[in-house]
Parts: sequence; C-alpha cells; structure tokens
Amino acid sequence: MKELREHAKELLEKGEVSAVIGYSQVSEKRTKPIIVTDPQDTDQLVFNEYCLNNLAVYLTKARIKVSCRTKDKTLKLAVTAKPCDVHSVVALIQENQIHREDIHIISFNCHGVAKDFGFEFSGDNIASKCINCETHKPLYFDKIFGEEKETPKASDDAMERIQEIERMSHQERFEFFKNEFDKCIKCYACRAVCPLCYCQRCITDKTIPRWIESSSHMRGNFAWNIVRAFHLSGRCTGCGECERACPVDIPLSLLNRRMAIKAKKSFSYVSGRSLETPTLVGSFNEKDNDELFM
Amino acid sequence: MDEKIILKDDLLRICGDVIDKGHILLCPVMNEYSIVKDFSRIKLDASALPAGTSFKCYVFPKTEPVLYYKRSKSDVQLIDVNIDRKNIVILGAKPCDANSLNIMKHLFNWDYSDEFFNLREKNFIIIGLMCSHYDEYCFCTSVDSSPVSEKGSDIFLIPVDENKFAMRIITEKGSEFISPYAEYLKTGDENISKQITENVKLPKVAFDSNEVYEWLGENFESPKWEGIGNLCLSCAKCAFVCPVCHCFDIVDEDYSYTEGRRMKNWDGCQFGNFTMHASGHNPRDIQSKRYRQRVNHKFRYYVDKFGEILCTGCGRCSRGCPVSIDIKEIVSNCKD
Repeated sequence: MKELREHAKELLEKGEVSAVIGYSQVSEKRTKPIIVTDPQDTDQLVFNEYCLNNLAVYLTKARIKVSCRTKDKTLKLAVTAKPCDVHSVVALIQENQIHREDIHIISFNCHGVAKDFGFEFSGDNIASKCINCETHKPLYFDKIFGEEKETPKASDDAMERIQEIERMSHQERFEFFKNEFDKCIKCYACRAVCPLCYCQRCITDKTIPRWIESSSHMRGNFAWNIVRAFHLSGRCTGCGECERACPVDIPLSLLNRRMAIKAKKSFSYVSGRSLETPTLVGSFNEKDNDELFM
Repeated sequence: MDEKIILKDDLLRICGDVIDKGHILLCPVMNEYSIVKDFSRIKLDASALPAGTSFKCYVFPKTEPVLYYKRSKSDVQLIDVNIDRKNIVILGAKPCDANSLNIMKHLFNWDYSDEFFNLREKNFIIIGLMCSHYDEYCFCTSVDSSPVSEKGSDIFLIPVDENKFAMRIITEKGSEFISPYAEYLKTGDENISKQITENVKLPKVAFDSNEVYEWLGENFESPKWEGIGNLCLSCAKCAFVCPVCHCFDIVDEDYSYTEGRRMKNWDGCQFGNFTMHASGHNPRDIQSKRYRQRVNHKFRYYVDKFGEILCTGCGRCSRGCPVSIDIKEIVSNCKD
C-alpha cells in the first residue's frame, strides 16, 4: 500500500499524470473509486480484495479526458487496474478509444476479489469471474505491486448455469430470459458501468427513428438486453460489472460469458488480451468460421 | 390512538382472507416487495434490511399506457385506458417506505391531478412494521422520520414478542380495513409498545435538513459538485430504486401506421438526455449539474414547493450505487 501511494504521489508531483484513478477505503470491507489530482490525497489510495469496481470505465469519460489536457501538452492518466481490468484497458486501446501512451497502468498481482462488499473475502464470497481466472498477473502494466497469493477455491456455479441453459429447448430458454428481462427497469446501470459501452450516444437514446423502445415492457426489455449482448459479443472482457450493478439481479454475465465462449470457440478470439491483435468485429479473414451465418 | 394486540397467526389468517378476497397482498420477501400468494412465506422481520426496491412500482409502474390512439387520414381517435383498481394490501412496510406515497402525492396532485396515481393510492392499505435494523446507509432520522414513525401507515405493527404484535390503527382507512377482523384483536397496552419503540436504536442524525436547505440555496456554483460529477457514471439506479423519485417520460409507441399508444415511463435525472431540448441545447449538459439537480430537488426545491423533503432516508441509492456514492455523506458535507 505504501509503495502504491508513494508511486502515485511521485507521478502527480513530477507532473507525469494529471490524475490517478484508484480506490479508496469506505469501511473495512468496502472501497469506492476516487480520482486523485492532489499529491496530498494519494494517502487515500488502497488496493485489496474489496476493490470490485472496474475503473477502466473512467478512461473514456469526456470530463476526465478534458481535464487531463493542459495548455501545452496532454498529460497521462494513471489508472489502478486489476489484471482483469487491464483487459478492458487493452480492449479500449484496440478499439482506438484511448492511446497506450496516454495511460499509465498501475496493476497488481491479484488473487481474486469479493463478490459483495461488506462480507469477508473467501471461497463463499468470491466474484464468479475470479473462480477460474487465468490472469493473476496483468498482461500489460507500467508498474506492478502486490505479492502472489493463492485464489480461494470455489465452484463455478455460473458455468453450470450456462450449461443448464444450453441444454434447454428454444422455448424453455426464451421463457428463462423472458422472466429475467421482465425485471429490467431500464436504469441503464449496466451500460453506465461497462467500460466498453463508451458510445457518446447510445442507440437506445436515439428517438428518430426509435430503434429500441424506451418502455420497460417485454418488447423494450428484450430489445435492450439483446442489443447490448450483441454489441458486446466478442468485445466483453467479462469484468462482470453489469451484473454487479443491476438493481434487479438479472444474470447478465450468463449472456455475456456465453457470447465470449462462442467467440473463442468459433474464432479463437478472447477480447482484451493483446494489443497487437485487431478486434474480432473489426477484422476479416476469409478462413473465418461461417457456421454462425444463417 | 387505538391500540390492539394481535397474534402473528391471526395476522396471517387475515392475510389469507385478503388473498381469498382477490386482493393483492404485497410483502417484503427475499429482498423485494413481491405479490404473495402463499402466506406461509411471509416473514415479518423488523430487523430485515429495506428491500432492494420499494413498492413504488405498484402505484407508479415503470411503464404503463396512458391512452391508445387510432389515426385515419382525417382524424385521430383517442381511446381511454382502464386503470387497474385492485385493492393492494402491503404488509410489513418499513417506515421509510410507508411514508413514500404521502410524499409523492403532492407531485401527482400539483398542477394536474394524476388519476393513475390517485386511483391506485386510494386502493392501497399500508400496514407498516417498526424497524429495528439500520446500517451505514440509513438516515431516516435526518429527514424528519424514524424507524418507529407511523407516518404513511394505515396500521402500524410493533413486535411485542415472537408471536405477538401491538397494532396501532392510525387512519380511518386502516380502521375500515381491520373492522371485519375485530374477533382477532385484543385490547393492547400503549405503555408496553411505547417501551419497545423507545428502546429501538436510532441511526445517528447525520445532518440538519434546514441547514442543508440553506446551504443549497447559497451554493449553486460550489466546486463540490464537480468532484461528485466526475465519479458519477450517469445511470438512473439511484432514482429507480428510490421510493419517492417520480420523474417520468411520455413517449408514443406506434404499432402500425394507424395505431399506437402513449406510454408513461420512469425517467431519471442523471441521464444525459433527461433535459435535452429539441434544439440540441442541454441546460444540464454535464454530470455535475445533474447531480446538483438531484440533491437540490430532494432537499430544497421540493421543500419550497410542497414543504416536505423528497427523501425518506432509506439509503437505497447509496447502498446500490455502482460507484459507492453516498448521498448521506454528500448531504452531510453540504456546509462550509
């Protein structure tokens, strides 16, 4: 922790970055995002198992981008990112939303984060993305902290649910998602917390013509949730923030994870893993698997 | 005040009768107010956390048609909507939820009397339950309420022991509701229930709402808003889980060239397009202005207009905020 704070302080004091986006402790088992611009405030920065937020979402926020541009030069933004959040940063770079040289990535050796705030981090309270996580070390970073530790063991219930849904008939599957989407209240928290939902103007906000009905009845809810799943296919890095943010507990990661599995099987592509690879939707190869076409 | 004693089993018998009569029975079950068909699922737990969402959606639905229309070359025909008039009984409403309809009522009867809200509200019976839970986000005591407040309840329950409740009949509506069940009610002792309510631990008073009111009036341009605006991600989760947020949007949905309906949908002040004008101008173009609006509306504008704070202190907005923005903390800092 001390090294992290010192590093952040140094970055700000030397004027290398305009802000450090990080976590601060709220209570014993809860953190919240913080944007530090004053070197004095760096002593609030923390990193632990309760750093649930994916801070990559702040990198494309217009206000923050503007505030990091001074008169004569563009300053970097420093972001504290778990190894899985680095995937989101990479995906944003791949999609030309940010430049690698504008971002200073502070990362950690990670052994998982809690599923919920306020409860002890353990095999019973571990985020489902962490259970079979393969990147305990970040793939890209400018500075790394933390020691390697063992991830608590837990069973991958979400994977079992995906397989369960795959075994369902079309009708059953439709009913399952109908019941889930029925709960949607269209608060768009899933969109707001998603680092890859960076559109300045989302398709749901377009009114002439209105592609997606803003009413949260079945048709509107299906349209929204399916369109979002489509837009994230081959792009979602699986940070699980949408599911965590959802006030009505729609299991959004089931959809997103299923799409990611499909992308991997069909195109051997996993989002946000390499700066050298072009994006899945942005590249074409004549040998591409075309089984998906109707 | 009319105080009675009722056994839990008898209360559940009344619930069974309510269901048999075809009324809707709402109860906090598994973190939400849900329609209960099997009353054995009812847990009247005063120490439970407030449900994830309030029961606002039963009186002010997330989406509903307000009229249907048919168009021809020369004419537009409007068709009225039948409003669902079912009686709804809410059993075990937290004091912070129970008072929500009273607060929202002002808005829905301000310049126009909203028959959708009023009809449903008229058919609501709210049976409140004393609350013995509070966490770091609760602040009902800072907004003129308390865990033992009867405000908004038609009938108020205070658990005496595991199997018994003291029942206070607050309104005429409540008295009318309970009168057919007089056989279950025994004479209560006000002193016993008073002793219980006096011993309930109260959340600490975090701010003085009058001071906040004054501060907001003088600090429209405070730099504090910018810091919050940078963190807030502009979703409407806070507004949609709030028991008293009531903003809505009217949109037309066409089924075809000739037919369609006009919908009334929940809307949230943190959305970027909430105040977007047709010209393209947006008076609240950045997030800090939108968050400032949220706090001002709750703690100043609504007070100016209707004499009440637009907040019940339930803490749902903070408990659920994806980036842990705590309204209690922000409002507590609304001072120099």
